[in-house]
This record gives sequence, structure tokens and C-alpha cells, in this order.
Amino acid sequence: MAETLFYVLGALCVVFAIGVVRARMPLFSVLNLLGTFFCLAGIYLLAGFPFLAATQLLVYAGAIMVLFLFVIMLLNLGDAAELEKHAGLSLSGRRLFVACSSAALLGLVGLGAAEMSTAFDARTLPAEHALDDLEHLAALLFSRYMLPFEAASLLLLATMVAVIVLAKRQREQARDTSAASAPAESQRKENGVLR
Amino acid sequence: MTPVLVMLLKTLLIFGGVITLAAGMTLAERKVSAWIQWRIGPNRVGPWGTLQPLADGVKFVFKEELIPDGANPLLFRLAPMLAAGPAMMAIAVIPFAGEITLLGQPTTLSIADFPLSALYVVAVSGLGVYGVILGGWSSNSKYSLLGGLRASAQMVSYELALILALLSVVVMSGSLDLRKIVEAQAGGLLQWNLWRQPLAFLLFLLATFAETNRHPFDFAECEPELVGGFHTEYSSMKFALFFIGEYVAMIVMASMTATLFLGGPEVPYWPAAPWFVQLATFLLKTGFFLFLFLWVRWTLPRFRFDQLMGLGWKVMLPLALLNVFVTGLVISLF
Repeated sequence: MAETLFYVLGALCVVFAIGVVRARMPLFSVLNLLGTFFCLAGIYLLAGFPFLAATQLLVYAGAIMVLFLFVIMLLNLGDAAELEKHAGLSLSGRRLFVACSSAALLGLVGLGAAEMSTAFDARTLPAEHALDDLEHLAALLFSRYMLPFEAASLLLLATMVAVIVLAKRQREQARDTSAASAPAESQRKENGVLR
Repeated sequence: MTPVLVMLLKTLLIFGGVITLAAGMTLAERKVSAWIQWRIGPNRVGPWGTLQPLADGVKFVFKEELIPDGANPLLFRLAPMLAAGPAMMAIAVIPFAGEITLLGQPTTLSIADFPLSALYVVAVSGLGVYGVILGGWSSNSKYSLLGGLRASAQMVSYELALILALLSVVVMSGSLDLRKIVEAQAGGLLQWNLWRQPLAFLLFLLATFAETNRHPFDFAECEPELVGGFHTEYSSMKFALFFIGEYVAMIVMASMTATLFLGGPEVPYWPAAPWFVQLATFLLKTGFFLFLFLWVRWTLPRFRFDQLMGLGWKVMLPLALLNVFVTGLVISLF
């Protein structure tokens, strides 16, 4: 029974994953991704990790929702000049800040990865299902795997910021070129994009 | 065989009870609004209008079902189910009462008891937003789209405060099990988490209003600006399903507030109370919060959308974080 369910869920997972990359509309990609996460949560449940399954739903369904918002809201980004006013630092100052923080992040990720490769050994893992013991999980996460954990969260944040910046730049370029050629067309394009 | 039968019976009883309560809420909404506005309210169908929900249901079934031109038919049909389904799933772990005997078997009055039930409720009820945003998007209407967008932004922002408020209660009780959280509050009125976590209680209560899209935070509908919001284009039972979902979500959130902060089915100063007294206590506590939903709706004006987002991110989230921090600090020090 459990094995059959695993294969069904696994197959569905793959089907949804293919759907993510094949979908024409971003919205359907997101929905397919949601399906993948549900199947994964089911597999976690089958493996006997209800906490991971619930977290999968809570975090990823929540995170996906934000993704969802971005998909639609990125089409209506704010004014660049408005952001510039709030920047606070000069351009060279910002560049220096970005370079320093990137280097620091890279170092942290490297340290975390090194830590992970030495600390992670399947044989030293606690007994079965101990991962579901919340106290145990929390203790592990905030002591032994502290560095990799923090590095991963910082990396995710940096990725998110980078995606926003990249998407914004593309959007500005598109607006500049279309505005130069024909204002009416750009207007129509914006209407079309929304639907 | 008997355990399966007991399970089925419990599911039927609890599910039927909650759906009936949701139908009753539609009548209560109209009766309470009438009462607050010095009117009489529905009084034609049955004694004091008590059969009004039945008449409404029949009317919904016989209404014509429209799918707007250019709408996405699949998602348009899926959205109401996605709106109502998660709310109903969340009922499964609500502890309505303690030990009872069904078909000769000792059991507890909740469909399922497991160690992560509090997490399950927030994980499942958070999925209800998909129904709202998909309904808004698939309708091919600008009002619906705006309503759906607003709802998703709002629910994502307030879910954080909701979960953090829940977290401080969890930290105090040392368990994610709703039964254990209830047990930790046994022993009298002063043991309630309401007194030990007043800030968390306020934040949780406010967040439930935003989570269920109720006044003064019902921006997903917001008639003066968005016609009907995300359900503008819906008719017939699909429209009704959105409302059933909303009322069931209200019941879930009210019973969660009662469970987390008012001791749930615990009867103060009567630890060995029989199950029906516990059930009555639970319904009384839940009923108070359900009434509060209606009371607030017909008393306070609606917020502005930017005020709502500002309140969520700039006030409630930092306060909730601070509350978790202080709770953890106090627990680790004493």
C-alpha cells in the first residue's frame, strides 16, 4: 500500500515538475509547482516525517503565494527614480557595500558547506524518526548545523533580491525601447500583459 | 471494524455539526445586523426565520450558473472548491470535547488527534487563499483580479503575525498538540493563556479577522470599490461555496482562538466535567468569538488598504516577534 502510494506520488511529482517548465502562462507554472510540493509533502508523510510534511505545506505554499504575487505584481513595478531617492548611499558607496557583502556571503557559504561535509554523516544521524522530535530537530538546527542553516537563509535572501533587480532591469529596458518607438503600442502592451 | 465505524461516525457528526453551524451563521449574520441596526431581519421562513438558510440553499441550487466569456473554465470551477476545502480540512483536529464513548469505544471528540495539530491547522487553512486568488484571476474581470490580488497580499502578511502569536502559545505550553495546549490551561480561569499571553491574544484575534477576510479587513470584497471583489463573476452554488468556505474558516478561527487562549473544552474549576458540558463550554467560547466577528462587522468602518498592509507589516509583525522573543527569554530565565 505504502509502496504503491509512493510510486503514484512520485509519478505525479514528475508530471507536475514537467508541467512547471512546459506551461505557457507563468500562473500555470506556479500551480504545477504547487502540485509538486503537495506530492513531496505526501512522500514525507509516507516516510514518517509529519513535521517535514506540514512545514513543506506551510513554508512552500506560503512562499509560492509570494511567488504568485511577484508573477502578477512584477508587471507593475514602481518608479526607479522613486527608489533612487531612498537609496541613502552614493553609487560608489553602494557598489563597495555590495562587493563587501557578497564576499562575506560567499565566505559564509563556503564555511557552511565545509561544515556540512564534515558534520553530515548518515551513520551518526540519530535513531529513526528522531528528526520528528521537535526538540531534537531544533537543537540540531541551532547548534551543529547552525552555520549551514544561516548561510542557506542568507543565500535565499540574496537570490530573491537579485531576481527582483534583474526583473526590474528587463522591464525598464522594454519600457524604454517601446516608449521610444510608439507610445500607443507600449500602452497596449501593458494592457495585454496584465491579462 | 469498530474503530473504523467510530471514526466514520465522528467525522459525520463533527462535519455535519460544523456545516450546520455555518448555515446558522448566515442567518445569525442577518439577524445580528438587523438587531444592531434596529431592524427585524428575516422572519418569513419558519419560526423567527430559522429556515432561511434552507430557503437560501434551495435558491442557490436553482440559480443559473454562468461562466463569463474569456474566463478560464478549469480554474473558474476549481477556485470555489479550493476556497472551501482547506477550511473544512482544518476542522479535523479541533478538540471539541475530551473523552467520550462511541459504540462502546472510548475516544475523544475530535476527528484526529496528533502531536502536530496546531501546525496542521495553520498549514491547511493558509491554503484557502488559493481559492480566492484563482477565483479572482480566472474570472477575466478587473474587479475580480484586484480583489484576488488584495486578498492574497493581505493573507500572506497576516499569516505571519498569526503564526508568531500561535508560536508564543506553543513555546509556553511546550507542545504543538492542541490537546496538550488545552491541558496546560486546566485548573481555573487564571490558567488561561489569555492572561499569560495578552499581546499574543490580541494579535491572534486581529489576524483572524484579516485571515478570514472579515470586516474591517474585507478588502477582497469591498463593495464600494470592487463591486463584489473576487466573486463578482460567480453565481449559483459556486458563489455559495465561497461563502460556506468563509463561514467555516470563521468557525475554525474562532474555535482556534478559544482553544489557544480560553482553554478550549476545559470547564473552569470542574476538571472531571462530562463530555457534553465540555462541548457546551467549547461552543460557548467559540460562539462568543463568532458573535464578535458579526459585532465588529456591523460596528466598525472598513480600513484603507494601505493602512491594512502598514498595520500588518509595521505594527503587528514586529510586536509578534518581540512577544515570541520575550516569551522565550522569560521561559529560559525562570
